Formats: sequence, structure tokens, C-alpha cells
Amino acid sequence: MNKKKKVEVKICVGTACFVQGGADLLLYNDFLDPEVLSGCEIEGSSCLDSCKNAKAEVADVDSKPPFVSINGKIYGSVNQDRFCKLLEEAVNA
Amino acid sequence: MNDIFIDVDYSQIYKHDQKIGGDVFLLSRNPDNNQIVCTLSDGLGSGVKANVLASLTAHMAHKLSFSPINLTHSAKIIMNTLPVCKERKISYSTFTIADIRFPSRDDIEVQLVEYDNPQALHFAGAEPLEWSRNLIDLQREGAFKKEILSQSQFRLAVGDRLVMFTDGVTQSGLGRSLPLGWRLDGARRFIKGQIEANANVSSRDLSRAIVRKAYALDGLVSQDDITCVVVYVRRPRRAVIVTGPPFTQEKDEVLGEKLKAFEGRKIISGGTTAQIVSRLFGKRIKVDMHSWSPDVPPCSTMDGVDLVTEGMLTLSKVATVLEKKIPTSELPDDAVRRFVDILLDSDQVHFIVGTKINEAHQDPSIPVEIGIRRTIIGRIRTALEQNYLKETSLEYL
Repeated sequence: MNKKKKVEVKICVGTACFVQGGADLLLYNDFLDPEVLSGCEIEGSSCLDSCKNAKAEVADVDSKPPFVSINGKIYGSVNQDRFCKLLEEAVNA
Repeated sequence: MNDIFIDVDYSQIYKHDQKIGGDVFLLSRNPDNNQIVCTLSDGLGSGVKANVLASLTAHMAHKLSFSPINLTHSAKIIMNTLPVCKERKISYSTFTIADIRFPSRDDIEVQLVEYDNPQALHFAGAEPLEWSRNLIDLQREGAFKKEILSQSQFRLAVGDRLVMFTDGVTQSGLGRSLPLGWRLDGARRFIKGQIEANANVSSRDLSRAIVRKAYALDGLVSQDDITCVVVYVRRPRRAVIVTGPPFTQEKDEVLGEKLKAFEGRKIISGGTTAQIVSRLFGKRIKVDMHSWSPDVPPCSTMDGVDLVTEGMLTLSKVATVLEKKIPTSELPDDAVRRFVDILLDSDQVHFIVGTKINEAHQDPSIPVEIGIRRTIIGRIRTALEQNYLKETSLEYL
């Protein structure tokens, strides 16, 4: 059986993201389903360059901090619930 | 900024059961003519009487060493002024004066006058050095013994230490753990060992170690006041803080060059700034997801840089900690604590501040803590200079 590749997740911890909800996402150990968590490789990023660059390629329309990058795709306005859903989708894809 | 830093500190333990010391240490720095005068005096007996004698001696010696009067004469004046002890019928107190002048950066000259204190020790690195002393005979009127004053001068190089102590150190353990006490040789060997173990030991730590050792030899019941002074000449410890992207992108290179060329510890504060440096140096930023608290975003690591943190939130927290003088031991292990630790461990702090405005911070929904970078850096500088006596400098890019 092939070992499934882990989902690469980057949480932005820049100022704008951190104060607008990014800090909540850093508690991922507490609110993520362990099964989902084990399928992800989560790390921080000092800035995903999306907050000040409106033209940045953001996967969804609503591009407000905090930003999270999942397998290279950037998502905005991520809260804990949305983070769970996005990761579940990515892991099961 | 100066290229040398003279670190002077002392440590003291009073004689057992005494609430006041008979050893007095005075230190004056005169930045106008680059002069430092250290005076260590040990009064006869212990307690209040000794303190009065020692204070008098130290203050007189101190004042006189700033005046043009020659030292032999000053010593006579001191001897004749001291009050006479009722029991022993003598007026007496010992002193060591080190007058350190450094007209130019690599030329530090010490004038040392010693009277009846144990000999001062001079170390180059961990090696004890010997030097010749001129002995001056001093015959006071009506005195029962001849006083011998020892005067010498020598140079201190970078990495040298001058250690002075009172007889509480050399006589520690006398008749207890050691038949003749610790003596000068014992103290010298101990100091050599301490410096060998940690070549950059600060004056504060070294003097404390010596005093503690003497105290231990006395069986934790000090037989006399134990005082030790250490003068340490070293290169200043420096730190640079880079924060904010330069106003124009062309200046990014300049920022990288300056950071690379800097000798000392390096802090990058700011996500975008960190990315610029990461791109220029070709080094990866790794965020440490464990070191954060609800107020402070996590810090990161990058090869060649000591600390990488987020910008405004961390900086404003750092400013508050420095202004309120909160000890770092009371802070959680986050970016702020590491930041402050590096600042307090440095003598000179240089700030390179980028002046580009971050559009993402102009969002009205962002909390007020995010102020103006220049204001916050100003607060940190003032706090460092006034609360911690650090030298700071600033440049904008």
C-alpha cells in the first residue's frame, strides 16, 4: 500500500492574520480531529503575502485575513470551523 | 559608539551577624574625559565603626584621585584625617584605588595605588600577570609603624581583567577549612579556573563566584566582610534589530548587506522583512509553532540570524516589558522573552528601521496596539537607555 502524501498546510502568523483570528488557528492540536491532524503537515509562515496584495491568487472570493495555505492554495477568512472543513476535504481528497 | 567596553561590578557579603559592612566600594565614570575610578576600602574592625572609617577613606581617596594632588600626599591626608579607634588607639583603614583612563580606544592605562589590601590581580584571559610595584614609605607623625604604599601603572588590553578584593577573601577559611586561609595564591588559582571555564564571564558573575567561594570556605559564617571588585575590558556585545521593509525595493539589497556585515547578534522583527532577508540570503524560515502566547505570534528560526519574530505586536510588547522593567524570568517562553533576553545581554543595540507602510495594517478592524513602527522603536530605545543604560543607535532605510 502506498503511503498517502501528507497535506501541506501553512498558517500565516503575520501581524494582520494573527490579530484577526490566526491565533485561534494555532490551537489546531485542540480542535482538529486527530485523524485529520495525522494526515497533515502543519507549519507556520511569517507572511503569505495575501493581506496587502489584492491580486494574489486566493482560492476564494472573500480574501480577508487570516490566511491559510493548503497544498499551495490560499484560503482567506479562515476560522476554526472552516479550517476543520477545509482540512477534512483535503485529507479525504 | 565605543569599540571597548569596561565592565565593572562588585559583590559583597557582610561579616556574619552584621547589618552594615566595613568594606566600601565606590565607582565613578567620567565619560567626558574617559576616566573610571574604582575605590575599595576596608575599615578597621567591623560594623558601623568600620563602615564610617571605610566610607571616609573611600570618599576621600575617590575625590583626591580626581584632583591633581600627588598620591603620596593624598594618602597622608587620608591617614591623618581618620578618627582614632578607642580600643586599639590607631586610626586605620586600607584602600585600593584604580584610576583607569582610556584616551584612545586601544590604550587603557591603569594607575593603581594599594595600601594594605591584598594585592590586586591582573589577568590576561585566564593567565595571571605579574608587574612591578613602586613602594613608597610613608612616615606619619606620631605613628607607631611605617606605612608602605604601593603604586604601579600598567596597561589593560581587551580581554584583560583586574580583580581587587579585601582581606575577607584572602583570609577566608582561616583556621577552619584552611590553616592559613585561602590566601592570594588560592584566590588566584580559583579565578584562573573560573575564567578558563567561561572565558567571557561577566564582572558581575565572576565577583559573585569569588565572594561565594570565600563564604563557603568560611563555612557560611563569614569571619569578615568579603568584597570583590572585577574590572573587565572587552569588546562591546552588540545586537542589531532589523524591522520593516525598506521604503523602496531597491534598498532591499542594502538591508541584506548591512545585516550580513554586522558583527553581533541579529534579530529580524517582521514577517515581510524576514521574507526579504530569506530571499536575499537564500535561507529558509522555519516557524517554531510551540513558542507563542495569545498576545504574541510564534517566533521563527533562520540560519545566520539569532531570532526571527513577527513585527508590531512583538515590538510593542517588548517596549512595554522594558518600560515596566519586568524580569524576563516572569515572562512565558515566547518571542518577547527571547527578544528581551538578547537586548539585555547586549551593550550596544542598533536598529535598522524600514519605513515602508504596511497596507494590511491600515484596516480599521485591526486592534489599536498596532501603532507606528517609528514610535514603538523610539519607546524601546528610551527604555533601553534610561532603564538599562544601553547604548542605542538608529538608521532608517
